[in-house]
Amino acid sequence: MTTPSPRALAWRRRGAAFAAGWREFAKQRTGLVGLGVLVVIVLLALLAPVLTDQENLDVTKATGGRMESPSWEFLLGTDRAGRSVLLLTLWSARISLTVGLVATLISVAIGTVIGILAAHFGRWVSAGLMRVTDFFLVLPSLVLAIALSSVLERGVGTIILAIGLTSWPAAARLVRAQTLTIEARPYIERSKALGGGHFHVISKHVLPAVAPLVFVNTTLAVGSAIVSESTLSFLGLGDPDPMRPSWGSMLRSAWLDSAMIAGAWWYLLPPGIAIGIVVLAFTMCGRALESVLNPRLREG
Amino acid sequence: MSDILIPTEEALAEVPPPTRGGGTVRYVLTKIGGGLISFALVIVLGFLLFRALPGNVIATMTRGRPATPEMIAQLEDEYGLNDSLWQQFLTYVGNLLHGDLGNSYIFRVPVLQKIEERLWPTVLLVGVATLISVALGLWLGTRSGWRRGSRFDRVSTGVALTLWSTPTFWLGMLLLAGTTGLFPTAGLVYSDTPPDFFSQAVDMAHHLVLPTITLVAVTYAQYQLVMRSSLIEEMGADYLTTARAKGLRDDQVRRKHAVPNALLPTVTLVFLHLGFVIAGAITTETVFSWPGLGLLTYDALRVHDLPLLQGTFVVLAGAVIFMNVIADLLYRVLDPRVRAS
Amino acid sequence: MPLLELRDLTVRYRGREREVEAVRGVNLTLDAGETLGLAGESGCGKSTLAMSVLRLLPATADISGEILLDGEDVTTMKWGRLRAVRWTSAAIVFQGAMHALNPVRRVRDQIAEPIELHDKTQLSAAAVRKRVNELLSQVELPAGKGDAYPHELSGGQKQRVMIAMALACEPRLVIADEPTTALDVIVQAQVLALMSDLVAKKNIGLVMISHDLAVLASTCRRLAVMYRGSLVEEGPSASVIADPQHEHTRTLAAAFPTVGDKVFRYAPATTSPLGLPTDVPAPGEVLLRTEDLHVTFQSRGVTHAVAGVDLTVRTGEIVALVGQSGSGKTTLARTILGLQAATSGRVVYDGTPVPRSSRALKAYRRKVQLVLQDPTSALNPRHSVYEAIAEGLRIHRVPGDERAHVAAALEAAELRPPEEYMPLLPHQLSGGQRQRVVIAGALALEPRLLVADEPVASLDASVRGEILALMLRLRANLGLAALVITHDLGLAWNIADRVAVMYRGELVEVGPVDEILSEPKHEYTQSLLAALPTTRPKDSDVPSG
Repeated sequence: MTTPSPRALAWRRRGAAFAAGWREFAKQRTGLVGLGVLVVIVLLALLAPVLTDQENLDVTKATGGRMESPSWEFLLGTDRAGRSVLLLTLWSARISLTVGLVATLISVAIGTVIGILAAHFGRWVSAGLMRVTDFFLVLPSLVLAIALSSVLERGVGTIILAIGLTSWPAAARLVRAQTLTIEARPYIERSKALGGGHFHVISKHVLPAVAPLVFVNTTLAVGSAIVSESTLSFLGLGDPDPMRPSWGSMLRSAWLDSAMIAGAWWYLLPPGIAIGIVVLAFTMCGRALESVLNPRLREG
Repeated sequence: MSDILIPTEEALAEVPPPTRGGGTVRYVLTKIGGGLISFALVIVLGFLLFRALPGNVIATMTRGRPATPEMIAQLEDEYGLNDSLWQQFLTYVGNLLHGDLGNSYIFRVPVLQKIEERLWPTVLLVGVATLISVALGLWLGTRSGWRRGSRFDRVSTGVALTLWSTPTFWLGMLLLAGTTGLFPTAGLVYSDTPPDFFSQAVDMAHHLVLPTITLVAVTYAQYQLVMRSSLIEEMGADYLTTARAKGLRDDQVRRKHAVPNALLPTVTLVFLHLGFVIAGAITTETVFSWPGLGLLTYDALRVHDLPLLQGTFVVLAGAVIFMNVIADLLYRVLDPRVRAS
Repeated sequence: MPLLELRDLTVRYRGREREVEAVRGVNLTLDAGETLGLAGESGCGKSTLAMSVLRLLPATADISGEILLDGEDVTTMKWGRLRAVRWTSAAIVFQGAMHALNPVRRVRDQIAEPIELHDKTQLSAAAVRKRVNELLSQVELPAGKGDAYPHELSGGQKQRVMIAMALACEPRLVIADEPTTALDVIVQAQVLALMSDLVAKKNIGLVMISHDLAVLASTCRRLAVMYRGSLVEEGPSASVIADPQHEHTRTLAAAFPTVGDKVFRYAPATTSPLGLPTDVPAPGEVLLRTEDLHVTFQSRGVTHAVAGVDLTVRTGEIVALVGQSGSGKTTLARTILGLQAATSGRVVYDGTPVPRSSRALKAYRRKVQLVLQDPTSALNPRHSVYEAIAEGLRIHRVPGDERAHVAAALEAAELRPPEEYMPLLPHQLSGGQRQRVVIAGALALEPRLLVADEPVASLDASVRGEILALMLRLRANLGLAALVITHDLGLAWNIADRVAVMYRGELVEVGPVDEILSEPKHEYTQSLLAALPTTRPKDSDVPSG
């Protein structure tokens, strides 16, 4: 009987686990719908330069009238400068998604590292790290983000930094709790009894077990980050360049122009609905993932 | 800044960990001490953010505004910017201990005065909204958790998730757009309302409706989802089987055993989410021009009034820290396992 | 009319993919005042049976057949009648009193709850309180304990509370589901005596469920054995134990050796064709020695977990370290392995003190290996059997062909053919196989000493013997010495050469098994032995309290 090499065995096991996970995930309709929506939106965002002309975002080149209601030429009407709202919504997706993803990746990376370290190396390291984490957790993050954004250069980079630096505590807490649970399991003790050192235990046992939770957390956090970005942009802390709109800055314009009073619903609805759909899609995916991984989280 | 939806076990794990050993006094002192340390850190952070970080403080503050060299020199003197950073820090802390938060650049009055003016509208809004959110969230959460998978559960959870996914300010704007004429769009009271208490109160309530709805809509979802998870977790407990075996009815088991136990971690979570509520308050006040601390922050932001921003930062962060200490203490009162020494 | 009668009772669980028959066509009767023991391994359906009497099963369970409680059929009762019957006609003493009590309510309130619920006479609060105190005194608990919360009570105290609670409404039938499983031997004996006493005094019918035949035989007059949902044997305890008819009963009886009976010495119950080694090798040089070992913890005040222990293990010797929970035996084991730092004293291996630095410890780890209690949680559920065994090899970068080493280890642990087991995941194996994988993982490093912490406590009775036999064979073939940590004196009698009895951090008695367990000198050892439930009931028929 030809038996495969250990490495092949390990990969085969991982592949089977992934396939099983996917099957579980696919059983949940909400997760699939969420995933589908995300794929479509990401594709649209990526293909925006191909499908449309970025030139049309230029305020000086706008062809429409001020805040016109929808027509065949401008399917979603125009903004105060006469640009197509549909175009703006499409291009805003790029900024909003980018900020959401990058900020979340930063916060999750920081949070995971700190969480694992705090749980693994108990006593002083843990106490110190958790004090810092708890402090940042308690600090109202919007307030801190406002503070950061107000003193640094306004723009996308600052917003990413602000969100990244204020969201990591939640991830750290989660990862720490999960790591503590895992490290209490007997197979960790067995690993140490076999002679495993810190690096071995963390890389071979802790990380693979924590990874699913981190992944779920990331998915849920991206939605959160996108909402945060929109809030910060709405408050005026976003990128002032009209060539780089985001959904939040669109809403800010709408508000400054009293679109709600003027009844310019086409100006008001699309960005908000876009945010709602994207965040909801991420959340649905995240919750579906959660229920896929949960039985195994309990077992493992 | 929105909070992250946390899965059940983790949510419950995040509740203040029970203290082992030491009496009540020691616990209380530890928590208060911790709170004071956190507040001290907030003060330091406030200084770092608004003095040390911006580089040229005066340049930031006078951005977009014409300022003669004499004005700049005067401002530098006024804000003590000619001293060393360490000296500035000491002055800052010294002033803080006297209740002096500096002077607002734009309003030309002490920051503390401005904050005092604007404090109670925020307290009113946040207070009312929190009460309604908690009541609504806990009730919905209990009902949907106990009948997991039912239509009620699926619909209410869906609604909660959708509302959680939308930005607060957008909901506010939608409400404004949708109810034109029905409710006032800005401020605390109309200027022409008769000054007697009753008319003023009614008018204020009228103004309060939309902002409260907005804030509640975004906040209640978190409480509902956590209560639901907490209850589902409790429902797997063995002692519920014991209760059933004794002959209790289903709703009795829920009321007397499951819900009270599930409430414990949820109650403290309510306090812990205050930061999130304050974030919502800032944007809500901005949209509805509700004259509270949130609007004050926004105004300060618009004009780069750093002393004022620093003041609101310290006050808001301090309030949240205070609430968290209360949460820790409350948990000890409620959960006998934590009380054990 | 019998108190309880089960007629052709069948319980099916409707699962997501398929149906599971937990109980198949069981027929059973119990009269008032009778005591019946229901024995079986995990998964045999005994708990399902117990829960079905009061219809406490989840909604996914379908019951068919009849359950007659005092003549009334429980399966067809209306909800109102069922709730009235619960606790007043029959009550259940649950297992794991740890989670069966509401953690945030006082014990007194929980005992009072059924009284107030079923009360038809509008008892005053004072009257209820009086009744609760009465019940507490019946279970030998002071009335003050009623004000405690569950976490403030010990395991034995909690179990007594469960008993008091069950008796609150003066039921005619009490079902006790594994009432003493989590308890120490001495506490177990006390609780069993208490239950027998109360049941006899009040003429209550008792059904006791356990996996431990000895516990049942010492308390119950009749014994019934369940296997895979069916009742396979029934009769008076004495005859069922002395002369078991069904194969499964024989397996169960054999798994619990009688301490003092030479028949069980070095003879764990095994059906393996490999058989048992015939002679016991003479012990060699001293391999491991602890010198005045102290381990102290500073948590709530000072705890002396290990207070001056001198223990030796020689090559090729099997030493049993026996103690109850809280005795410090697990701490001692972990200190010997280097997983816990000693406060003072030292551990000497092969003449050299065990090092503290992690690098040197690593080398030590190759010589002394660990086998844990619960094989399910001792293996990473995501790693295949191959990876679990290869882990140690990789950590130590053992030269040579990894596959060959893993195969050899699997062979030594008697998992044959090795190739078949390599790609499997832990959940695809049985409990016994998992423990063999854990042992194989330890063997891969070719240690000279194996420290086994409760190696068979989590395994089913029928598998217990196999693992113990494996350990004897490993000693015979590989010269592997073992330090077995256990609370079970029977295990020590089965396979150990020497025994060390530990109590509150100290070794109270050490010596050859034959001597110590037949003629114990220390008071504590004597009380341990006296508390052991025997499968041979005492002369008098009526179990005495």
